[in-house]
Amino acid sequence: MKAAIRSRAFAPIFHVAVFGLALIASPASAQKQGGSITVGLEADIPGFDPLKVGVFDTAALTAASSIFDTLTTLDDKGVAQPKLALSWSSSPDFKTWTFKLRPGVKFHDGTPFNAEAAKANFDRQKDPANKCRCAFYISGINNAQAPDELTLVYNLKDPSVNFPAIITIPSANWVMQSPTAWKTKGDEYNRNPVGTGPYTLKSWAAGDRLVLERNPVYWNKGRPYLDRLVLKPLPDAQSRFASLQSGEADIIWDDEFDADNIQKAQKDPKLKVHTYAGSGAAVYAFNTKTPPFDDVRVRQALVMALDRKKMSQAITNGLSRPASNPFGDGSWVKCKDDGALPFDVEKAKALIKDYGKPVEFKMIVTATPRGRTVGQVLQQFWKQVGANMEIEQVDQATIVPRAFMRQFQLTPWRIVDLADPDAQMYANFRTGSPVALANYSNPELDALLDRARVTPDPAKRTEDYCAISRHVNQQAIWFWTFQNTYYALSSAKVKGLPKMYSGVIDVSGAWLE
Amino acid sequence: MLGFVARRLLYLVPVLLAVSLLTFLIASLLPGDLAYTILGDQATPEKVAALRHDMGLDQPIWWRYLSWLGNVLQGDFGRSFRTGQTVLQAVAERLPVSLELMLLAQIGALTIGIPLAIACAVRSGSAFDRFMTGSAFSMLSVPAFLSAILLIYLFAVELRWLPATGYIPFHEDPVGNLRCFLLPALTLALGEWPVLMRVLRSDMIQTLQEDYIAMARAKGLKPSRILLVHALKPSSLTLVTVTGINIGRLIGGTVIVESIFALPGIGRLLLSAIFTRDLIILQGVVLIVALGYVLINFIVDLLYAVLDPRIRHGHA
Repeated sequence: MKAAIRSRAFAPIFHVAVFGLALIASPASAQKQGGSITVGLEADIPGFDPLKVGVFDTAALTAASSIFDTLTTLDDKGVAQPKLALSWSSSPDFKTWTFKLRPGVKFHDGTPFNAEAAKANFDRQKDPANKCRCAFYISGINNAQAPDELTLVYNLKDPSVNFPAIITIPSANWVMQSPTAWKTKGDEYNRNPVGTGPYTLKSWAAGDRLVLERNPVYWNKGRPYLDRLVLKPLPDAQSRFASLQSGEADIIWDDEFDADNIQKAQKDPKLKVHTYAGSGAAVYAFNTKTPPFDDVRVRQALVMALDRKKMSQAITNGLSRPASNPFGDGSWVKCKDDGALPFDVEKAKALIKDYGKPVEFKMIVTATPRGRTVGQVLQQFWKQVGANMEIEQVDQATIVPRAFMRQFQLTPWRIVDLADPDAQMYANFRTGSPVALANYSNPELDALLDRARVTPDPAKRTEDYCAISRHVNQQAIWFWTFQNTYYALSSAKVKGLPKMYSGVIDVSGAWLE
Repeated sequence: MLGFVARRLLYLVPVLLAVSLLTFLIASLLPGDLAYTILGDQATPEKVAALRHDMGLDQPIWWRYLSWLGNVLQGDFGRSFRTGQTVLQAVAERLPVSLELMLLAQIGALTIGIPLAIACAVRSGSAFDRFMTGSAFSMLSVPAFLSAILLIYLFAVELRWLPATGYIPFHEDPVGNLRCFLLPALTLALGEWPVLMRVLRSDMIQTLQEDYIAMARAKGLKPSRILLVHALKPSSLTLVTVTGINIGRLIGGTVIVESIFALPGIGRLLLSAIFTRDLIILQGVVLIVALGYVLINFIVDLLYAVLDPRIRHGHA
């Protein structure tokens, strides 16, 4: 309680919030009310109770963004805007964040949404007795407090300058669920979710249709536009695309490995390809404590041997966008110089020759067709410069423990699209972090990481993150192949899709032309 | 007859025990520890150890099998760690879809297979017969995922007669329901009819050489009556067996077909259980499917006895 009051005293100085005007702006005349769309997702949704499912996969995130609301939302510039919270402020050390909540909001079951309800969501996930897998992602938050009806305070363990942007993702951690509903429904709550969102759950047949209907008393007057959303799992990529062509689905999830269909849709005037160039990338980590990767020349040689353009042609018909740093086009971190090593076969050969010993190693790949293809392409590149890579196929679930225990020489990893680079950069490169996979420690790098997370000025942070990128690229402890790019294909009539942050197809504001 | 049934039922017990043991072993020996799967990106050694303990995964395998079997015998197949649904709930929701699919596929296969078999048997050795047996052979070698995509492309994308994917429950819209099932059932039937046709054809050719058929012909009975009444029934013994065994193949086929056509059946449930390492669902569903398969074969055995009294009297 004290912390909350203290932080509010500092609030005027560090007020970063905007008042909730942007969202309430009157809808443009083009947006039409009514109608229904069917969304083709790639997988079955297991449910929505964080205690049961732990995390939401991309299919569940799409549903969650219509059933639930988050405190904040990202605009198309990647800046946090009000949603269930109207304004926010932080303490000078960025460890205490205070949110002023929107008054008069109710969950679909009539339960009022207030600071107590938000705190109950947090406490339930945090409670060690509940053993929620979701607790991991809020382990950086010590507690939540509700000093009054409409004031919510999060006390963080570590500073977070961009906290309001981080909590915009409609994940199990950040969507607000009705405490009354989970208490009364028990085991059944998982498949009977109750939120404050623009759509309410009408019916849900297991493995089939999840039907959502317009919430007539949604707090954002005039929204949503559609009367009904139908979400269907369509697991097979070919028949999912056929369903879009034949009109059974109005919008479908897709990814760049389905390049043929994406390119077909680009040529079809009746269809529209929605794509979002996100932040993050497909990345790989060298274990710098094991030979031959304890020598920087070997690591640099292997990175310089990569022809990303050719690789993109080989795996996705050229759709994959080469990555030269861990931030990507979708990030607000833009570097003039990210320190990327050039593609240079001769230089790579020279470095390997200079190393003097034979370069032989094993690389982990996922035992899937995609994992194998990527492994084989890399193998060919490296063979050309005189390095022998052996592919070791492992189950997806096995990669994580192998990585934690550093039982690898070279492993794939992923930096996902998040609103702020801090969480992943700090985890991946700070000395002592469980996923600092390269086993690399450098005081200069640590100092940069420590400073970047407490610097409020985005320009200064950008400088630090670019310096981090230069360091990692030059030392070649990790490398990046392709940026994260997300796809959705829709009928040309479907309008009003926001950017697919974190790869989520958010149809909560969609309308039909 | 009663003794015959009782003895057959008794045989089922060891079969089912073996199935349950195999199911359990396969699920337990899948690569990728369940604890790692559940913990995902937070699978630190300490957390894994704690979760393994909570889930009883640190117990010896025989102990886990016996306690699972004990629960199953009391009707408790367990609960999915992902959805919180019990196995029985999940199966009950999905079984009707798969049953309808298999039934329609079987009807489709018989509708194509039986008339063609009879037609071929009557003109055995003719050009028509040779052509049909040849095409049956080539149909056998077309995999379901290929014929499914071709059918979708033709009937859903080009002609727009039928939906490409989707499911409508029968009680909501019977016609819509049948439209949804037409392409998936046809996909499965296309792989099944050649088998049925070939066995019936060869049995029928033999039957048609029997003396009593010649006798019937001599009596001047109508050829259609001879074929459908006098020849078909005694020729259909192998057909019944194959139809029964084919149920097993069909269950396998539903896994592919339900995924392509997005039907919420047992096959999809099984596939997603494998992908997500939902071992409780996997073990439970495989056991229930095996149970169904064994029971169908049991019914086929009984049907033999009905079709051919010699079996009933000879062995019971």
